[in-house]
Amino acid sequence: MRMKVAAAAALVLVVSAACSKTTEDGEEVDQTRTATGVIATDPKDSLGPAAEVPGATKGGTFTVIRENKISHLDPQRVYSFAGLMNAPLYARSLTAFKDDGKGKLTLVGDLAETPGTNVNKDCKVWEFKVKDGVKFEDGSPITSKEIAYGIARSFDPDLTGGPTYVQEWLADTADYDTKWNFKANKASLPPGLTTPDAKTIKFEFAKPRCDLPFALSLPSSAPLPPAKDTGVNLDNQPFSSGPYKITKHTPGVELVMERNEHWDAKTDPVRHQYPDKFVWSFGPDPDAGANRVIADTGGDAAALAFNGVPSALVSKVEGDAALKGRTITSPTPSAWRLTINTQRVTDLSIRQALNYAIDRQGLITVYGGTTVASPLTTLMPPATIGYKEYDAYPAGATGNPEKAKEVLAGKAPELVLGIGDDSTELGTQLKTNLEKAGFKITVRTIPADAKLDETKKKDNPWDIWLDQWAADWPSGAAILPVLFDGRSIKAEGNSNTSYFNNDAINTEFDRVLAMDPSAQASEWSKIDEKIMKEQAPAVPLFVEVAYYVHGSKAGGVFISSVFGYPAFVNAYVKQ
Amino acid sequence: MARFLIKRLLSVSLTLFAVSVVSFLMFFALPKDPVTGMCPKNCNAERLERVRQELGLNDPKVEQYAAYMKGIFVGRDLGSAQGGKCEAPCLGYSYVNSEAVTDTLGRVLPVTLSIVIPAAILWLLLGVGLGMLSALRRGTLVDRLAIGFSLTGASMQLYFVGALLLLIFTYQLKIVPVPHYTSILDNPFDWASGLVLAWIALAFLFSAIYARLARAQMLETLSEDFVRTARAKGLAKRTVYGRHALRAAITPLVTIAGLDVGAALGGTVITETTFGIQGLGRTAVYAVRGGDLPMIMATVLIAAVFVVIANLVVDLLYAAIDPRVRLS
Amino acid sequence: MSLSPEVLEPVPVADAAPVEKGVVGRSPGQLAWTRLRRDRTAMISGCTLLLLMLVALAAPLIEVLYGVGPHDEFKELLTRRGAIPLGYAGGVSADHWFGIEPGTGRDIFIRMVYGLRTSIFIALASALVTAGIGVTAGILAGYLGGWVDTVISWITDFALALPFLIFALAIMRPVEMRFYGPRDEVPVWFRVTVLIAIFAAFGWTSTARLVRGQVISLREREFIEAARASGAGLGHILFRQLLPNLWAPILVSFSLAVPAYVTGEAALSFLGIGIVDPTPDFGAMIFRSIAYLQTDPAYVFFPGITIFALVLAFNLFGDALRDALDPKSSR
Repeated sequence: MRMKVAAAAALVLVVSAACSKTTEDGEEVDQTRTATGVIATDPKDSLGPAAEVPGATKGGTFTVIRENKISHLDPQRVYSFAGLMNAPLYARSLTAFKDDGKGKLTLVGDLAETPGTNVNKDCKVWEFKVKDGVKFEDGSPITSKEIAYGIARSFDPDLTGGPTYVQEWLADTADYDTKWNFKANKASLPPGLTTPDAKTIKFEFAKPRCDLPFALSLPSSAPLPPAKDTGVNLDNQPFSSGPYKITKHTPGVELVMERNEHWDAKTDPVRHQYPDKFVWSFGPDPDAGANRVIADTGGDAAALAFNGVPSALVSKVEGDAALKGRTITSPTPSAWRLTINTQRVTDLSIRQALNYAIDRQGLITVYGGTTVASPLTTLMPPATIGYKEYDAYPAGATGNPEKAKEVLAGKAPELVLGIGDDSTELGTQLKTNLEKAGFKITVRTIPADAKLDETKKKDNPWDIWLDQWAADWPSGAAILPVLFDGRSIKAEGNSNTSYFNNDAINTEFDRVLAMDPSAQASEWSKIDEKIMKEQAPAVPLFVEVAYYVHGSKAGGVFISSVFGYPAFVNAYVKQ
Repeated sequence: MARFLIKRLLSVSLTLFAVSVVSFLMFFALPKDPVTGMCPKNCNAERLERVRQELGLNDPKVEQYAAYMKGIFVGRDLGSAQGGKCEAPCLGYSYVNSEAVTDTLGRVLPVTLSIVIPAAILWLLLGVGLGMLSALRRGTLVDRLAIGFSLTGASMQLYFVGALLLLIFTYQLKIVPVPHYTSILDNPFDWASGLVLAWIALAFLFSAIYARLARAQMLETLSEDFVRTARAKGLAKRTVYGRHALRAAITPLVTIAGLDVGAALGGTVITETTFGIQGLGRTAVYAVRGGDLPMIMATVLIAAVFVVIANLVVDLLYAAIDPRVRLS
Repeated sequence: MSLSPEVLEPVPVADAAPVEKGVVGRSPGQLAWTRLRRDRTAMISGCTLLLLMLVALAAPLIEVLYGVGPHDEFKELLTRRGAIPLGYAGGVSADHWFGIEPGTGRDIFIRMVYGLRTSIFIALASALVTAGIGVTAGILAGYLGGWVDTVISWITDFALALPFLIFALAIMRPVEMRFYGPRDEVPVWFRVTVLIAIFAAFGWTSTARLVRGQVISLREREFIEAARASGAGLGHILFRQLLPNLWAPILVSFSLAVPAYVTGEAALSFLGIGIVDPTPDFGAMIFRSIAYLQTDPAYVFFPGITIFALVLAFNLFGDALRDALDPKSSR
């Protein structure tokens, strides 16, 4: 009997899918949306509690399904998107973004009373006052001492991962861990960092660092009592300062977080504590994750598939009326570009010809269609504060091979394209596309897991490859100088993967970085266009569109305007 | 018997030693430099060098190998970035996971065992049963159905069957829970229901091979002289088939079964991936892709131990089942 | 042949008569051929195999007649939003018999035709090499015993103990780097050769174990002892006496090895090794299609049913061949 039912079900499934006609329909996601961001000037913005989420109820278990484990949980080491989205649940930082999920961002004080005081108005001295009533999971109070210790331990070279902005700024060198050795000086603090009293923490820099309030919104400024520091092992059991604490952690299988009774909503302007528990369930691949959530059984009804809707399932999710209201779609700041290794491709006309030749529409189709990506002609994604659209090499949606040939003027450049072995179809698409414009492309596959590290090596052997960047905060300062300041090029671990170094552009970076953050926005757009028009060190391709599905009882999830991934601070379980 | 065992144990140790050496060497040929992934936050050549130094990757390979072996038997100190002192049996500290390798293994090993062992029992019973049935009822409809079933299974692929089973039973009919692993000690029902699809898929595919082999062997044995003699002597059909024929027919099956179970325990990558369960197989694949030397070594060695033990058991069973084989 | 009546096949008398006549002066090969020709399953599966191989061989000709190449793209036939084929059943039409691939927009039929070529070649070549090594090693070890057995068995144990997938995963890239450096084009034939080598290096052990086990139980048997007693040479005993008695297990394992390599190669593509896009390949195609089970079942159906037919035909034909070659189980 079972077999018959199963066979019938399979048959119905196949037949219904085969016999329904596939047509073009549905609406496009609004891609023109631009982030607006301000640093809160009114201290009231930094006060808790956060506004109630309409319809939210307390209780229940909220589940997040993801294929791979979160690479790090230790707040000082968190830097992956999953980690950054999860960390706010158990780690508070000095500042935080208030995010309406629609692009409106306000930087407020989190542990600090305000998002920072620029003491001399020159961005060199910053002061933060710690709020009253903030506590760790054991009920002990959080003071400036524990926050400073948290920042100090981010100097420890053993603790791999995590951002390096604050360390480099304090030490005023990329070699921050040789300048100040954490392990030898655990009782003291890094240069420039002081705690005049239990409520005050002070940063003094050699150069203006106007982006400090933004950088401190990352979990690496989370507090830790020195007595609770278990070194590398903290990664499996961090000590909580947020609304949830880790009660069970089986790496690669499950992470369970339960309410932290010592967290006080009145001190927190951005977080809630609706579900009794948050559970990350690791293992299912993206297809399985989405299928589980769509099936909506048991605990999966209050679950979110963190890997999103895979492109193969997009049309099913879109076409299913039962899933209306259970999907989230939103533009993200995650921008893809075809990086050009300017050390190898030194001829500007070749780089410009690549920009004319590129078929963005074809590439997006192979990537999964416009539901999951939309074309981009700028280096910064539209979600950046102060974004201005332009196209330095107008060639239409599918590229202009004739124009590219004209720019090449008879040359037939031979280029080696490095492609991850999990996305060889994208490689084929690029090869076919570019060879139409007179290029000769050799495709070499790179193991997907090694690709990032390999392309970040200065002497890597490839000419062009696909790169992706999402900024740590939605300002041009976290994009353009990171990706194109040639003075930061080192042997390995480069973010400037175009290995692009231009004195004029570097000077521009310095000029804008010294400006007040609110005045910087429009300047970054100008530099963006200048880099593309004059140098073309990359071919902007597309921005990812977030497309998620969740169970019928999951509520309050929104796509972070900062990172483009689902945020959980408002999440609740419908009762 | 004792001499045989000693000889086998020696050969087994030699095999494991060779496996450990080969996997150690293989690692150095891996495309990904393990250090790149664990470089301190702000990477430069000098820092990388320091990490290499700390990990001992610059020491002569023989010394590195010796240090690793010492860790297994007496334990070693791995340094502050590697979780400090590591007690024997120390398999090192994962370069990628911030966890001692033994902890990881302790977690993923029961998963793989829980997938393979019940599945193996299922596929053996099903396979041998079907094979015998069709051999004894040769030429009848039963034979055809049994062979048809086994051929269908043998002609399918695990990821295909798995995806179909999941789609039908879990996502559409919703009668089987999403595959997951719970310890049998915590909740035996949950343990079984979380893995049942994997067992069915594996049994369907593997039993096919056994059914075909069992049938072929059984037919072969049935036409042997000693079976005919036994029948001619007037022994009951039951005794002849059940005792003599089955025993002779099962010998080659034992070889295959031992090897299959051993190999499956070494990693059921595709099964684990299809059903989204985290066992030894996926752990091994992640280790190779991430250049995680301690984890590669451990997973390869564990897989080798399983295969080697399975081989030993097969040899012993061989002697027990087929009296014509002398252990020498 | 058999004493038990239910084992007797209901062979029609008319069919049995020519065998009676033919008993005079026929070689075992001819006998087997006659038996095979009379087996309907064997004929059907054999013809299917022949047809599929013919299709694989004639791929360029089919391309000319069909008018579409394996690398032609028809992205205009895909939806912009989800990149799946427009129209019915995955874009099946007069121009595209089996529809088109989602995402890339290539024709499924012609890619299957070319994919058959790659897959059948890799599988057959691997199975042949594997069987050759395995049978030789197994017979030598099983019959000679002593130190030869010890050494061969140890090598077998060693090779068996190495986890195949992990090593396959680790080997491909260094080999590529060694021969082609980081920037040269890696030709398709090179990857194919490496694949066959990997399969052969890890695949021969099970055949060797199987054959060795068989030989050990055979070598104590009367007919071998008789041959030995009458002074037959080693070669004679190994290949004239032992080998004919091993055909059944060898053929069964060979007939299982070919399809196993077809699917094994698919598993390798899944792990990012093996044949890479854009080279048409069955394994890679099937693996990519699985994800579309719910949204484009036609994409799963056509390659899926073809590979099922291919593998089933091999299995059936292998069975029939065994029956035909093994006089003891003659129908």
